[in-house]
Amino acid sequence: MWASAPKTPSRRLYIFGALLFLWILAICFRLVRLQVVKYGDFVQRAQRQQNRTIPTEPRRGNIYDRDGYALAMSIDVDSVFAVPSEIHDQETTATLLGNVLGMDPRDIVARMQASRNFVYIKRKIDGETSNRVRQLNLRGIYFRKEPKRFYPKRELAAQVLGYVGMDDEGLGGLERQFDDDLRGIPGQELISIDARRKWFSRVERPPDPGQNLVLTIDQTIQYIAETELQKGMEDTKAIAGTVVVENPRTGEILALANRPTFNPNVFNNVPPESLKDRAVSDVYEPGSVFKIVTYSAAIDQHVVTPEDHIDCQHGSIDVFGMKIHDHESLGVVTIAEALAHSSDVAAIKVGMKLGDQRLYHYIHDYGFGQQTGIELPGETRGLAKPVSRWSKVSIGAISMGQEIGVTPLQTISLVSTIANDGVYTPPRIVAGELPPASKALPVVFHPAQQHRVVSTMTAAEMKKMLEGVVLFGTARRAILDGYTVAGKTGTAQKVDPATGVYSKTKYVASFIGFAPVNNPAITIAVILDSPIGLHQGGQVSAPVFKRIAMQVLEYMHVPRDLDVKSPQRQTLVASTKDSDLTDESPDHLGTPLQDDAAAASNAKATTTAAKPASSNEAAAATTAKISDTKPPASSGTEIAQVTALPPQPAPAGQSAPNGTVVLDVDSGVVVPSFLGKPLRSAVETAQQSGLEINAIGSGVARQQWPAPGSHLPSGQHITVRFTH
Amino acid sequence: MAKRVSVDKWLFTVTLLLVFIGLVMVFSASAVMAKERFGSPYGFLVRQMAWASAGLVAMIVVMNIDYKKFRRPPVVFTFLGITSLLLIAVFLFRDSHNTHRWIKFGGLSFQPSEVAKPALILYLAYFLESRWQQITDWKNVLIPAAAPTLLFALLIVKEPDLGTAIACVAISAAVLFVAGMNMKYLWYALAGSLLPLYFLIVRVPWRWARMQAFLDPFKDPQGKGFHIIQSMIAVSTGGLTGLGLMEGKQKLFYLPEPHTDFIFAVTAEELGLWGSLLVVSLFGIFLYRGIRTALRTDDMFGKFLATGVTAMVVVQALFNISVVLAMMPAKGIPLPFISYGGSSLFITLASVGVLLNITQQAE
Repeated sequence: MWASAPKTPSRRLYIFGALLFLWILAICFRLVRLQVVKYGDFVQRAQRQQNRTIPTEPRRGNIYDRDGYALAMSIDVDSVFAVPSEIHDQETTATLLGNVLGMDPRDIVARMQASRNFVYIKRKIDGETSNRVRQLNLRGIYFRKEPKRFYPKRELAAQVLGYVGMDDEGLGGLERQFDDDLRGIPGQELISIDARRKWFSRVERPPDPGQNLVLTIDQTIQYIAETELQKGMEDTKAIAGTVVVENPRTGEILALANRPTFNPNVFNNVPPESLKDRAVSDVYEPGSVFKIVTYSAAIDQHVVTPEDHIDCQHGSIDVFGMKIHDHESLGVVTIAEALAHSSDVAAIKVGMKLGDQRLYHYIHDYGFGQQTGIELPGETRGLAKPVSRWSKVSIGAISMGQEIGVTPLQTISLVSTIANDGVYTPPRIVAGELPPASKALPVVFHPAQQHRVVSTMTAAEMKKMLEGVVLFGTARRAILDGYTVAGKTGTAQKVDPATGVYSKTKYVASFIGFAPVNNPAITIAVILDSPIGLHQGGQVSAPVFKRIAMQVLEYMHVPRDLDVKSPQRQTLVASTKDSDLTDESPDHLGTPLQDDAAAASNAKATTTAAKPASSNEAAAATTAKISDTKPPASSGTEIAQVTALPPQPAPAGQSAPNGTVVLDVDSGVVVPSFLGKPLRSAVETAQQSGLEINAIGSGVARQQWPAPGSHLPSGQHITVRFTH
Repeated sequence: MAKRVSVDKWLFTVTLLLVFIGLVMVFSASAVMAKERFGSPYGFLVRQMAWASAGLVAMIVVMNIDYKKFRRPPVVFTFLGITSLLLIAVFLFRDSHNTHRWIKFGGLSFQPSEVAKPALILYLAYFLESRWQQITDWKNVLIPAAAPTLLFALLIVKEPDLGTAIACVAISAAVLFVAGMNMKYLWYALAGSLLPLYFLIVRVPWRWARMQAFLDPFKDPQGKGFHIIQSMIAVSTGGLTGLGLMEGKQKLFYLPEPHTDFIFAVTAEELGLWGSLLVVSLFGIFLYRGIRTALRTDDMFGKFLATGVTAMVVVQALFNISVVLAMMPAKGIPLPFISYGGSSLFITLASVGVLLNITQQAE
């Protein structure tokens, strides 16, 4: 056997070599399979893990007022992100970042371990924080610009504009209603790491900016409304309030203010009460204001004429066994006088003469029980029961504004219908949309579908009667200098939600009026909830109306239709006593209105408010009160100076104020220096000075025209060039 | 002294080429890491170049020493003895990552298990030269021949470094096989090792995890299968021509040990199929020239020595590449000449020096 032994090593060497060559062959096959046959599969796999696609936020469309002043805009702010693979010591980096950003370092570490090439640490931080992070000079920590919503006028029209969440999603107001249009389409960016571990990004698809929104709101009128409402709230200690200013001819809402309010830049921890847009979501019993429906319907149906005499039975009437007492003991007076003094007895008698069906027909035609269709979320229909659900005393209650639930917007539409010669015009707040590229171009406003409710004759009679309310009745505090004015007060007792009966201490005091009487330019509704002390609409709401109306009419250059100091009117004003202005009904017919619509809208407001509470954005920690905010050309003294100028003729029926205010240049503002400021703080500075900014570029302000220190009228534009 | 022919130029050139490719790939695979660790991308390269230079000097020195001078018992047994001591001493050193693989003094550190391979080859060649014809006498020849291998393997397993232990056993087995060991003993040995392997692989959780990952890497792509999948991704994305030197991305976060055990994956990713086939072919040429040397050497000591050195280089290379290509479960075996690691490179080059000396004396 071992004879051939010496040859064994050679044979075994051949076998050994052959085995290893087979192994090498197998490896070659494997290489070809992996690198050629399966190439595609693995390349895909590699890209999936090596690259990350992140969405880029589109620039949200601006919201402009009717003259193109931005009420909501998007500015670029820094978002901090990390490329974790570039960071060796994640713990230390997280601790340093946590200190500056106010975050838990453990949370940051957890984020950094989620991806190798891209994680957000904190998004949309303010400039100061961003600078502090930059000063840390941390490796693997970078910034990218993201648009952040900014409301340069802070509380101005807060409930109308609404607010947005962290991802710029609209959560309230117009921001929510027009979210799809404003939002735009997100883009895509590919974040990748090159072979030297450096990150780079490539834009896969640029984001599409959203549409701009142009409102019918005029920021100056809005500011007047906000300021005067605030003052009225302080004077009367009311818990809530709403002011609406409307163009009665077109239905354009020129201002819509609510109290309590909030700053949409910092909307966390805002109580739901403040987020609520009361003008569309509050349902209340209108009280005497609703007598306009009863009287206009009766006149329109030729049931009565203003000159007819009616026996107010010394303030007492028996309606199907229930006694109603007037606040004032009137005998036989004219219909017009009965309205002026807001007699409940007269209203009941007129309503009963008219009958259920006809009264309901007008209630419906005036838009009660239906949405006005305004472009705001959360609008309620109010409560207007059909005749089939009326009790036998309902006709009496409804005639004087009880047993019916209305929204402030519905009531202003009622008064505007009279002002607009009997034609109902649905209120609107959005003038139109603009494509992203264009700055606010003139937008042509088209009124919504109008319809006639009462005849021109009836409207003319009602105007006269409502002027009488102001001149001789319950609303003498609303008499204006130089303008005729008409309107109606209302004082409704609130239903105590605890007991379900009418409260003896809580009232909704309202005054809704228009001016000038013969060619109305504006309708204004002032509604104050639960004023303390004086609580009659004529006592508390009419003065607010007067202050707003005076400023707005002057601002709009509405020609006066009276001498400024008409002696007769002076006398009327001087002789006014608070006791004369009472229109409250001391009695009630039937049961209090079950306010389920209001309850529903409350619930809605609560859910809306719950969402933003999750965000704790501190970027815009501006806490100043609304009174600090000064939109251009709208402080009281400036308006007073405008008054001194000769009245400028305005074309009849002109609906849009052109927004330019002539001012004495000497009283203009001193242009502050914007140099060195980032866009956001420049805009704020401009706001405080009552100026507007034309921003060019982005980054930090480097140049401005005119130079700091020069004098400019308020509301003028400063051009500021920003560079990085 | 036998008649002298010139050194095998193929072997010499292939070795130089592999060392050169190694330096390039170590730089490419480690530059980013080196910048972070040493502040310079050349941190690993400079160290590897120093070891390569020393190794090449050693190779040329050894190449010019007649290999027969190593045949004397004092040389063989001293080498074997020192290696044993080092393998025991390694347990006295502070562990790193719960393992005892390194001996450190000053700035230098080396793995004694690297020394074990040439020591075993030298011992086997010496012991079998006169006894290979009685190799069927298992009591007096086979057992004494295999004993040091088993001892070393046990010590190395204890470190624990199963990969190197298996490499030692495989190299010794190759020499014994060529020496004519009866095949039935090989089967006995294989059968006998099943039980210890069961305890070493199935019962050690992390090794069992590796085994499972090898069997089905895509079952747990983010966990157990991660390294295997990442390695395959690297090789595969290289395609035909590769991403280009320095352009590979898998080495950044995905590949474990991109400059040592998985350097072939980086090579395949950056140089593509052509590059990876080149490396495999160079080892193929090395195998061919090594076997040829062994065949042509009449001197049995030289024949076994040549077989051992060839097996040491090629078997380890094939093991390493097979792991990278997911053809075998992951084991910590470096790619000879190419992987970063000074002691391995130095000792491999010195061993090649012996082989080159043998080529000079083959007919």
